[in-house]
Amino acid sequence: MSSSSVEDIPEQIKDLFTQDGVLLKACLGRPVTDLNAIGMLCIVQNTDGTKCIEWRPNDLITIDSDTQDHEWAVVNTIGRRQRTLSGNLTADYATAKARIIKIPLEDLKTFRVTRNNQQMQFSTKPGVWQTTFYFQHGNAEIFVAYLKNHVKSAKTRHDRNTYMVVEPNIESQVLNKSFAELDIFTENTTDVVWNLVSNFKQRPYETTLEAFSKLTDIVYYGNEATNGKRDVSEEVAELLTKSMSAMDEATTVTRNDEYEVISVKPTLPPRPCIPRGTPLSTEKWDALKDTQGRITEVDGVKQLIFRGGVAHSIRQSVWKYLLDYHPWTMTHAEIRAHQKRKTEEYFSMKLQWRSMTDGQESRFSEYRDRKSLVEKDVNRTDRTHPFFAGDNNPNLVVLQDILMTYVMYNFDLGYVQGMSDILAPILLLLNNEVDSFWCFVGFMDKIVSNFDMDQAGMKNQLLQLQQLLTFASPDLAQHLAQKDSGNMYFCFRWLLVWYKREFSHRDIFRLLQVRFLLSALQSNLLGKQLGFKDNTAEGIYHQIVSAPHLNDQIRVILGHQPLNISTSTQSDDDPVEPSTSQVNGEKSILGQDVDEVMYTRVCRKVTPNILT
Amino acid sequence: MAKTYDYLFKLLLIGDSGVGKTSILFRFSEDAFNISFISTIGIDFKIRTIDLDGKKVKLQIWDTAGQERFRTITTAYYRGSMGIMLVYDVTNEKSFENIKNWIRNIEENASADVEKMILGNKCDLDAKRQVSKERGEQLAVEYQIKFVETSAKDSLNVEFAFYTLARDIKAKMEKKQEASNPPGGRSGVQLKANEQNRKPTSWLARCSVL
Repeated sequence: MSSSSVEDIPEQIKDLFTQDGVLLKACLGRPVTDLNAIGMLCIVQNTDGTKCIEWRPNDLITIDSDTQDHEWAVVNTIGRRQRTLSGNLTADYATAKARIIKIPLEDLKTFRVTRNNQQMQFSTKPGVWQTTFYFQHGNAEIFVAYLKNHVKSAKTRHDRNTYMVVEPNIESQVLNKSFAELDIFTENTTDVVWNLVSNFKQRPYETTLEAFSKLTDIVYYGNEATNGKRDVSEEVAELLTKSMSAMDEATTVTRNDEYEVISVKPTLPPRPCIPRGTPLSTEKWDALKDTQGRITEVDGVKQLIFRGGVAHSIRQSVWKYLLDYHPWTMTHAEIRAHQKRKTEEYFSMKLQWRSMTDGQESRFSEYRDRKSLVEKDVNRTDRTHPFFAGDNNPNLVVLQDILMTYVMYNFDLGYVQGMSDILAPILLLLNNEVDSFWCFVGFMDKIVSNFDMDQAGMKNQLLQLQQLLTFASPDLAQHLAQKDSGNMYFCFRWLLVWYKREFSHRDIFRLLQVRFLLSALQSNLLGKQLGFKDNTAEGIYHQIVSAPHLNDQIRVILGHQPLNISTSTQSDDDPVEPSTSQVNGEKSILGQDVDEVMYTRVCRKVTPNILT
Repeated sequence: MAKTYDYLFKLLLIGDSGVGKTSILFRFSEDAFNISFISTIGIDFKIRTIDLDGKKVKLQIWDTAGQERFRTITTAYYRGSMGIMLVYDVTNEKSFENIKNWIRNIEENASADVEKMILGNKCDLDAKRQVSKERGEQLAVEYQIKFVETSAKDSLNVEFAFYTLARDIKAKMEKKQEASNPPGGRSGVQLKANEQNRKPTSWLARCSVL
């Protein structure tokens, strides 16, 4: 990357700053053939003193690249630049002026830096990013720094990467900008104040002078009006007070080469405390049924279970309802008949594979493949648990029979690794082959997208998880990205089998129970602000939902309707998968908040990339 | 802070479900064996630092799920791997036949110069054997990949396999380093190659002075 300030060109157009290796990624009204051309991004001054951002394609400024090999051409472009600027510029302009992009600085409304500081977008009209540039070498930092010398800009409140151009002539606008938004410092104001405080301890004299000179700048630069001054000083005073009192609390101090950076990054509002309800007792469960055994207040029951769980003694019974084996509105008699039918259905499917001869099997490779996978996995499912431990354990036979029958029930899906993990706690709880099978079917219906052949469901969840993490904890998200773990693949197992591998059986019963209900209650949750597995999870949910910078992308992941206001954090470059906009279904993830909580609890299991 | 190792090698274990990838890794990293392992879902890893010719080599070994369904996730780890172990089960003909598919997978997803090794695991189960050692060797010759039969259960050749793979990677890496950073007294042929490489660079240097 090469960048320099050229100030002594006697042409009509003066280059104030140039940056090579900038790709044109998007530009409204330009033919596609112009896109992805490499060029030079400049800040130029016209003869009349007005300035503009200008992008020139490289082929305007290279001359003899054709005779050179590829490597050469690139080198030449950079080497030529100085000469071009001081001499041949006007001739080139005349021939290919049409391809140059000019954005007058007086028209510039907003700009933003995305993609690891490598992409810059400009807008002269609210709501539309007209031009997008990609910085091939290095990043846009230097360009932004120079641009800031020519336009007064302020980071927007909701997105640190987006800058509003503050028009200096409109006083009221400046007055309305808060101290923080003026962005005088390279870091945000809070950081500067923190630096001041921390440096003060070590070198009080210099720090004080430095800080006061900066404060003077702000007052001078920001506004000369008296109320502007007062606002600034008040705000600084407040920040200082806060920082002093918080100094010894939970702040992270990292030592840089030259100075200390104390990061205080409040990303979410405080977490509300949400009490957990009491478990549903046997008496209450019985009382919920009418004389015939019907449960009419289904939503109410679900909410009770969701908020407080159930007594373990009735879990067996409750799970048959939660897993859609027993319909809520059936009477005792109807359930008995229903169970009889389901039992017959089960055994007829079981007979289908049980009656298969060796000859049949030898000519049925798809069946054989599924069977072999089942056999392998049954022998390694929860074998440390007493229920499945030891040689010739009959429970393993039941486990295998149910999985094999499921293969016949849904041959296309067949057997996917992870299914035995899902069945094991059900069988352990119900200890009945037929009941376990149908509850397993109900479970699989909820979780089936996790087992898509193309893994689309899993990928979507991982993407949503990443987006939520970026929202709730940008630092951690960035750290993961730096460690090549931004794909969140290390969460794959957690999501695939709903944390079954990460918890004891006792805990997993509770966790699964909540997840069974998440999708069912989702619509109600939105209206009635219902809770999650425990107060922490629900607390996090509320934190995210009430965060001031909540955008549509996150709103959709949480199962809310988007507001359809195009926020600056959402762009055409950061597409939201169409499927994420489903408000129902397992994939749309109120549950992801539970995942977040679990994430912190299971955090010890991270990728080695993070460890090193 | 002093580094605790000289090199970090990323290795990958692939092969059909149930051939013993996790067992091999567990034997190597913990020197233990358990008949009732759990299946690997998605991807997992273990780390062991070994000593190779006086250098501390940290092996970061990725263990993958064997089932086809998880291929999209597991192939993401091919690219960064410097060495890949292809594992089959000598008591399972199908897993041996599939080695060819796994090799194709490597060709499609891993970097071209990745070191490979074929392991025929469970060689302790001679009574159930379906794939002879000779067939394994023949396949290895065909693809010009090193081959060894292992038993994670009896701790046979597991150490050997990882050390061999690591040593091959180290040799390849050091050779590359020397090529890009040549010390004095190189052979004539290599010098020539280097000179050719340098030509445009020197042109570049002169140009930017202008």
